[in-house]
Amino acid sequence: MIKLDSLYVKYDNKTILKNISLDIDNHLSILGANGSGKSTLAKALCSLVEYEGSVRITGRDIKNISLKERAKLLSYIPAKLEVYDPFISVEEFVLLGRFAHKKNFLDYSDKDKKIAQNTLEFLKISHLAKHTLNSLSSGEAQLVLIAGALSAQSKIIILDEPTANLDPHNAKKIAQHIKGLKDYHQVILITHDLHLAAFIDSPTLFIKDSDATYFAEKKKFFNNSTLQELYGVEFNDLAVRYE
Amino acid sequence: MNKYLVWFLLFLVLLASPFIGAVDLDISKVFTQDTLQNSIFFDLRVPRVLFAFAAGSILALSGLLFQTLFRNALMTPYTLGISSGAVLGAGIAIKLGLGSLLFGIAAVSVFGFFGAMMTVLLLIYLAKFLKHSHYESLLLLGIALSLFYTSALMVIFYLGDTMQNDMLLRFTMGSLSIIGWMHPITVSIIAFILFLAIYLYRYELQLLGISDESATLRGVNTQKTTLILLIVSSFAIGTLVSISGPIGFVGLIVPHIVAKLHPTTVNNRILKTALFGGFFLVFCDTLTRGLQTQSELPIGIVTALIGGPFFIYLIISRSKKA
Repeated sequence: MIKLDSLYVKYDNKTILKNISLDIDNHLSILGANGSGKSTLAKALCSLVEYEGSVRITGRDIKNISLKERAKLLSYIPAKLEVYDPFISVEEFVLLGRFAHKKNFLDYSDKDKKIAQNTLEFLKISHLAKHTLNSLSSGEAQLVLIAGALSAQSKIIILDEPTANLDPHNAKKIAQHIKGLKDYHQVILITHDLHLAAFIDSPTLFIKDSDATYFAEKKKFFNNSTLQELYGVEFNDLAVRYE
Repeated sequence: MNKYLVWFLLFLVLLASPFIGAVDLDISKVFTQDTLQNSIFFDLRVPRVLFAFAAGSILALSGLLFQTLFRNALMTPYTLGISSGAVLGAGIAIKLGLGSLLFGIAAVSVFGFFGAMMTVLLLIYLAKFLKHSHYESLLLLGIALSLFYTSALMVIFYLGDTMQNDMLLRFTMGSLSIIGWMHPITVSIIAFILFLAIYLYRYELQLLGISDESATLRGVNTQKTTLILLIVSSFAIGTLVSISGPIGFVGLIVPHIVAKLHPTTVNNRILKTALFGGFFLVFCDTLTRGLQTQSELPIGIVTALIGGPFFIYLIISRSKKA
């Protein structure tokens, strides 16, 4: 569904991603060291960064897809939401997920409002509807971000380190929601959290030194010797917490 | 203070405003045809109140717009040097003695408008050399431009004769003194256009108020939206400033007061900011007319006297948070 062809990303004359070609037919977890270019790859998928090469979604080059259509195809969930507007509420934010579906210059339709409301109910955060985004805890904020993506009803959802700021309890909650997303969406997960990646159980892409290695099967990646080789740290079996 | 009380008091000031000034008006005579009082009321005071209201709306809306687009509480057409650009343009027209009409529009307005537009284009061009969304640097650029324009205006003063300098000086202090209905109606139409433009882009602004990235991801063409809104507001500011001269700080103060009274997301504050800006400037203008001085106090001085301390308060309360 997503096809990367000789993708290069440079930033301040530093090559961050080098010649990456990849077909992402279904779910994918992207792992790698800090600064390895995981997030950059995700941002290239959303054209948030300049790149060379091509990114195609269902055969179409994303540079030829309008921003609104792109928003309907894929949602990107950042690790942390930076919000300038100190007053915007959860409800209003989730409704903005419907922006690309809304007619230009008009208000959101009743259908849009219903979808946003249902999303809040689905994620069991209706009680937060009137709270401002800035008042949320990290765990609540991550759920609200997911709600924003779900209300957009895009096929592809990209999550950038969803558990990075969370305690184990909230991480587990988010992990289970992400696993649920796999039934209806193509989930592309970027994470440092090996436990999360193991639990989500998608094919894995490991990025190191601006190069990428693909592991189709869980066992090929999640074994002590492979992990040790890739990360350069000794591993004993992962303790899976999220089941 | 109760927010409805604030609105109500400002509304009362608006109603009382046309009766206040150098000549005391008597209600019974005002509404009698063909009296001097009738003519002062309907040809001077009422159009002036309308002019002040529309001007206040334009200034406040531009402030709200700039603060949202650049996600910085200190961004206004004044702090970015856009109105100084308009003042310089208008100053050049006065110096060249272009009082007459240019394509049916006053030359001062045309030059003021170009001054504002040139500044916006220059800022957009210079912003390309700034690192991604470093809007603080943009603010510094704006201040640098303002200082440059002020010096350029000083050169014009230096070269001008006494009569031109007197005109220029009065112009740079800002004034809402107008006669008749032409300017009030022009500025009201422009205020309405600005309001409409901002209202049409209310959800884009709501997204831009979160972050540039969020807006792009949700499908907003941020560059196009920013450019359109900047051009419309520069057009509004340029035209207004070329008529009234610079009236500072309204764009800075009003959006903050409205946000304090109505802490809600930006698209619920557009109409409120436009109305409050109008009320606020009418209030300041009523002060200038109500205070018994030798001649009328220029409005720009009143707003600056209120705005200066407020600006300092804003900077201090901002750094406290950080």
